Order: sequence, then C-alpha cells, then structure tokens
Amino acid sequence: MNLVTVVFSMIAAACLTLAALHFPVWLRNYDARASLAFAIAAVSTAAIAYFELHMLQAQTTVEFAHALKWAHVPADLLLLALAAFMYHYLDAGWRWLAITAIGIRLVSLVLNFTTGVNLNYREVTSLAKVPLFGETVSIGVGAPNPWMAVGQLSAALLCLFFAHASWMAWRRGQRAAALIVGGSFIFLIVAGVGHAILVYWGFGDPAPSTLSLFALGVVAIMGYTLSADLLRAKRLVVELSEREREADLVADAANLGTWTRDIVGDRLVMSRKLREMFGFTADERLSTEQVVQRIHFADREAFRDRLSQAARRRGDYQNEFRLVLPESRGELRWIAALGRVDFDAKGKPVRSRGACIDITARKHAEQEMLRLRQDIAHVGRVSVMGQISAALAHEINQPLGAILRNAEAAALFMQHESPDLHEISAILEDIRKDDQRASAVIDRIRALLRHEDVQMVTLNVRSLLGDVAMLLRPDAAARHVSLELAVPADLPAVRGDQVQVQQVLLNLILNGMDSLEGLHDRPRSVTVTARRDGAGSVEISVADSGHGIEADHLDRIFEPFFTTKSKGIGMGLSISRGIIEAHGGHLWGENNPIIGATFRLTLPVAK
Amino acid sequence: MAISTVHLVDDDESFLMAMSRLLRASGFAVRTYSSAREFLAERRDDEPGCVVVDLRMPDVGGLDLQSALAQTPFPLPVLFLTGYADTASTVRAMRGGAEDFLEKTAAKELLLDAVRRALARDEQEREARLHRDELRARFAAISAREREVLGHVLRGRLNKQIAGDLGIHERTVKVHRKSIMTKLSVRSVAALAQLSQEAGLQTH
Repeated sequence: MNLVTVVFSMIAAACLTLAALHFPVWLRNYDARASLAFAIAAVSTAAIAYFELHMLQAQTTVEFAHALKWAHVPADLLLLALAAFMYHYLDAGWRWLAITAIGIRLVSLVLNFTTGVNLNYREVTSLAKVPLFGETVSIGVGAPNPWMAVGQLSAALLCLFFAHASWMAWRRGQRAAALIVGGSFIFLIVAGVGHAILVYWGFGDPAPSTLSLFALGVVAIMGYTLSADLLRAKRLVVELSEREREADLVADAANLGTWTRDIVGDRLVMSRKLREMFGFTADERLSTEQVVQRIHFADREAFRDRLSQAARRRGDYQNEFRLVLPESRGELRWIAALGRVDFDAKGKPVRSRGACIDITARKHAEQEMLRLRQDIAHVGRVSVMGQISAALAHEINQPLGAILRNAEAAALFMQHESPDLHEISAILEDIRKDDQRASAVIDRIRALLRHEDVQMVTLNVRSLLGDVAMLLRPDAAARHVSLELAVPADLPAVRGDQVQVQQVLLNLILNGMDSLEGLHDRPRSVTVTARRDGAGSVEISVADSGHGIEADHLDRIFEPFFTTKSKGIGMGLSISRGIIEAHGGHLWGENNPIIGATFRLTLPVAK
Repeated sequence: MAISTVHLVDDDESFLMAMSRLLRASGFAVRTYSSAREFLAERRDDEPGCVVVDLRMPDVGGLDLQSALAQTPFPLPVLFLTGYADTASTVRAMRGGAEDFLEKTAAKELLLDAVRRALARDEQEREARLHRDELRARFAAISAREREVLGHVLRGRLNKQIAGDLGIHERTVKVHRKSIMTKLSVRSVAALAQLSQEAGLQTH
C-alpha cells in the first residue's frame, strides 16, 4: 500500500471518527445544528478524500473524469455544511446570501452531470503523471468546461458570505471564533478555487487535487471550536453547581424552600427544605395533587385558583396557605409562596418555579396581636363601662322603681271597699310597659359588654347613635351637658361591628363631655352629627364646646398612652382609631373655628 | 290650715305616675311636675308640703332645684330620689343639704316615712316661721330710740348707764323700757331677752 493511499484513507477515517463523535450530539439535541453541520462536513470530507484518491490513482481518462464528477457531490455538500455551520455557530451572516450561493452551487452540480465529462472538463484527453508524497499520481489534461465559472461564482458568493458573517461576529466580540472559523473557511475556498483556476482552466502546471487535505484542516478547526464549546459547557456545569450550592445555602439560611414544576408533565422538583416543610420524604416522587392534599381544605380552592390564574397571566404570583401535616395532630403550619411561570415562545406555560417560606411564627404573632388588641379593646370598653355603670344602673332602676311603686299603689287601692278597677288596670298596663323597658335596657347592656370576635354586620346609624345616646343621657344630665343628635332619616346603613363602633362613639362622646369639665362660661353641649360622605361612606362627627385641643397635641392624641386627663390611661383614641381603620374608615380630630373640638370618623356604606 | 301637698318632680313620666299613685293611695295630696322649672313656676308660696325630686334631670337637676327653693321666702324640705345612688352623687346631694336621699327602688315604708318626716319638718318650720313673723311684727312697733334702749337693756346695762351713754335723763330711759315691755307684752327682762332671741334680733 502506498503512502498516498494511506494518507487519504487516514483523512477519511479521521473525518468519519469526528462525524461519529458529533452526530449523536445533534441526535440528542436537535437545537445543536452546528454539530449536525460539522458531522455532514466531516462525512463530506471523507467522501471527497475517497474520490480524490480515485482521481490520483486513475489509470484512464474516463476513470479520472468519473471520479472528479462524483467528487462534486460531497464537495457541494461540504460547502452547504460550512455555510450552515457558519450561520448557526456564529449566528451571523446574511441568510439570503448563503442560500443564493448554495442555489448557484446546485445549478453547477446539475451542469456537472449534464455538460462535458464533468463541471471542470469538457473532455479529458490524457493523464499527466506528477509526484506526490514520493509517489506518482495522475492528473487529467484536456479542454476546460466553461460552465465551471458557475461553480466559481458560487464559491465567490460563499466567500463573501463567510467574510461578512465573520465581520459581524468580530464586531460582536466573538473575535477568536470569527478569525478561526471565518479565516479557515475562506482559506479552504480560496485554495479550492485557486487550484481549479490553475489546473482545470489550464493556466498553470498540472497539479494533483488535494482538496480533502485542506478540508481536513477546516474540519479539524471546526472540531476544535466545537470541543472548546464542550469544554466550556463542562466548566459552566461546574460553575452552575457552585451557584446551585450557593443558592441552596442562601435558601437554607433564609429558611426558603424552592421548587420547580414542569407544567406539561406535572413533574415537581422540591428542595430538601421544602420537602421538610411539606412533610415529604427526601426521595418521594411528587405531583401537584400530593401538595394540594397537604393544604388545609379551606385554602385548597384559593390555591388552585392562584395556580391556574398564574398560568394564564404573566408575572409573579403570591400565595398564603395553611398546611395540615399528617403527624402534626391538627397543628397548622402557615406557608407563604412566591412563584413565577415560564412561558415558551408560543406563550404556553412551560414550568413554574418559586420559593416557600414558613410564616407560622409570624402568623401566630399576628393572631396574638389581634387577640391582645381585642383584649385591650375589651379592657377599654370595661373601663368606659365603669365610668358609666352608675348611669346604666340609674337607667334600669327607673323602670324598676316605677314598677315597684305601681305595684305598691295597686295593693293599697285593692284594700279600698270598692277598688277603682280602671285605675288598677291602668297600673297593670304601666307595669307591663316598664318591665319591657327594663329588659330593653338589659339587652343593650349585654350587647355592649359582650366580649366576642368581631362581627361585621349592617348597622343602622340612626339606631346605633340612638342607643349610644340612651346610654350616655343620664351621665350627660348629671354633668349638665346637653347631648344632641342630628341624624338624617335617609342615611344609608354602614358596615361594622356594632360593639366596637359603639365603643368608639361612647369614647368620643365621653371625651367631649370631659372637655367641658369646669367650664361654665358657655353652653355646655356635645353634638353628634351624621351625614353621607360621598358615595361610599358615612361621616359621624362628635363636636363639643369644650377646651379644644392644643395645637401641639393634635398629632399626638392618637398615640398610645398619650393623655391630657389626670385619670386617663391614654388608650381611648388610639384604640378607637385602630378599630375604625380596621373597619376601612378614618378617625381624626380638629379644633372648631370658635370653641371646642370635633372628632370625625368615616365608615364604609354597607353594600 | 291648708292640707300638705307632696310635690313630685321627675322627668321620667312613668315613675312620676307610679309614685303619685302610691302617695295618693297612702293618703297624701300629690302634685306632679315633669321638670324643676315647671315646679318653680307653678308652686304657691304659702302652701305647706315637701318636694320629692329626681336627683338627675336634664337642664335643672334636683340640687339646683333645692338651692333655688332655699332662696325663696317659703322653702320646702326636699327629698331626693335617684335611680342609683353611687358614692359621688350621694356625697354631692348630702353636701347640698338634702333632707333625705333614697333610691327609687327603696322599700315603701322607708319612702313613706321619709315623706312623712319631710312634711312634719315643714310643719315645724312653718310654725317656727309663723311665730317668728309674729314676733317680728311686734318688734316692728318699737321706735328707733326704743330699739336703741332695748339693745342696751339686753346687754344688761343699768338705767343710769344707759342714760349716760345716750345723753338722756334716767327717767326718760325708764319711760322707754316701760313702753317696750308693753308693746312686746313681756313682764321681765328675762322674757324680753328670750323673745328677742326668738325673733332673731341682733342684740349686739
């Protein structure tokens, strides 16, 4: 076996090996088009080497012409592969230019089979013998095929495409890749075309065709760049796992559990932390449904709604829900989740990912705060009640006293020889009325003192204010304060907790009466007015003719423990504002133009 | 002599009615008023009786009524009623000189006794007032000079000393003393002194 055979066989073998290495890359990932182009280029180079060997070892002109004709097929395929590689690997160049060049090349391939003996020769008249690697090899001699120019036009266009694409990649900063890939491609084409011009057009001495040698060089360069990518990918994998470890550390430190959900296949990947939160074992296979089963049944519907909403709309979504863990014996765990959905190019949701955090402690603290506030409100209410309990007892003893006196009077009337039955029946009727009056008072006191969770109901402002005034009238009378109500009949109902709103009103009115303490130079009045405030709320104001609020105190009166009274603890207005704001309203105070102050509160109109 | 009237003042119509029934059934003459103003406007000065008033009323309360009444020439004993006797209002009422202070639900006998006591006191005060008025009428007949002499007599001075002080003759002093004794129908200096005291006359 001579050296030429060995060299060309090795070229073919090397190229096929490289193709075999890279083709499976494309098989696993159809997006790796550069790998496919490379594999095709390598196979084509192997084929070119095969045909070139035949040309070099041709014994007859027909054999030579035939081999050269068929060598055009892999050569064209190589050019196509190079153009594709350039386009996909550098992601640069004018696609139309590449397509035009390849199109013209196809025309030249047709001409290769239809004109002359091949694209290069109209006819091969003789074989010249030239040395190569110390051997003697054949080269055709004959008349050139003028259609060869078509192939060279295509080569020129392709050169232009490569040059432009490389320039684009260079400007974008991919300098090494542009230089190596672009430079080697252009060199290959210049070498091929140069050989054709010198040998086939007959401008120079006959020289053997060794295109496959150059092609091997190009394939090697392509293979090198691709494997450099593989190496970089490997490095990225290492970096990525570093980042993942960092992210895990951060998540652990922040008590965050993370997840990724493949929406199409409903596959769920949860971090160790998240599995702990949900009470899953470390290697259990998970689905969304399993997660939903862990969620408190009252929160499940909302959870599902959020998921389906997030899949329809872009953007982050947040969710709070309770977990019932199998071993927790009814103890709930509160979780807050932040999620994001990824969409594919067509806008279809592909996967969601996000983080969960255990907010049980925060929730407990919030509930504790709420309970404390209710307790404080209750204490406040009880102390308000303490102030007016005398007034309430007074209120209830009125009907009781009347009943007693009526009964005693009736007993005395009955002792007469001829009792006045009209009188006695009038007495009985009055007793009945006073009895009802007494129980109405008791009902109201009970409602006022009840310590319950907040119950938002529809409240009639008129009767609400009437009740409060009823409770305070005796106190107001004893303190020589005229308590006046001005409530229009057509006021809409508001939404609120009756006991709490009453407490706020009691507090404001008692404050108004306190502000009149020791003042005798003016009418002593507290006026409660209600009016509609825009479409959505009702404003209730409590105006007094008292001392007014010192300018320095206007901001501070709503602060906890701020008081100007010798006996106050300074919680009344602070709690009142808290209550009204929890109702979605506002509470504020202002001084009147001439004397006294007015406190105003708004409450939302009941829908 | 006119019959004593119990004046009931209360803004609570129902209690006012019931209370008046009880008092009438117990044999009292009763008149009712729904406010202190109404009572002060309608009462007749010379009528004997007492006032039973609710301590807490809007506008003019029970204590105000009492002080207004005290300034008239014919005050009446005031008995306070209240729905609920808390410490503060009890103290205020007692300090204001309440005759009695009862809850509206107090036992009937307590209430009726208190009314009877108030009426009895009114009667006493009325008699004392009549007596004093009569005395004052008698003292009114004494001339200025006689009053001057009387002052000295009550201080226990002798005729001679009085004559010296006033720069008149001792005989003239004797004439004045006799005239005083006659006008006031007393026979001794001791009786004169007691009478003067009853009349609330300034002796110094």
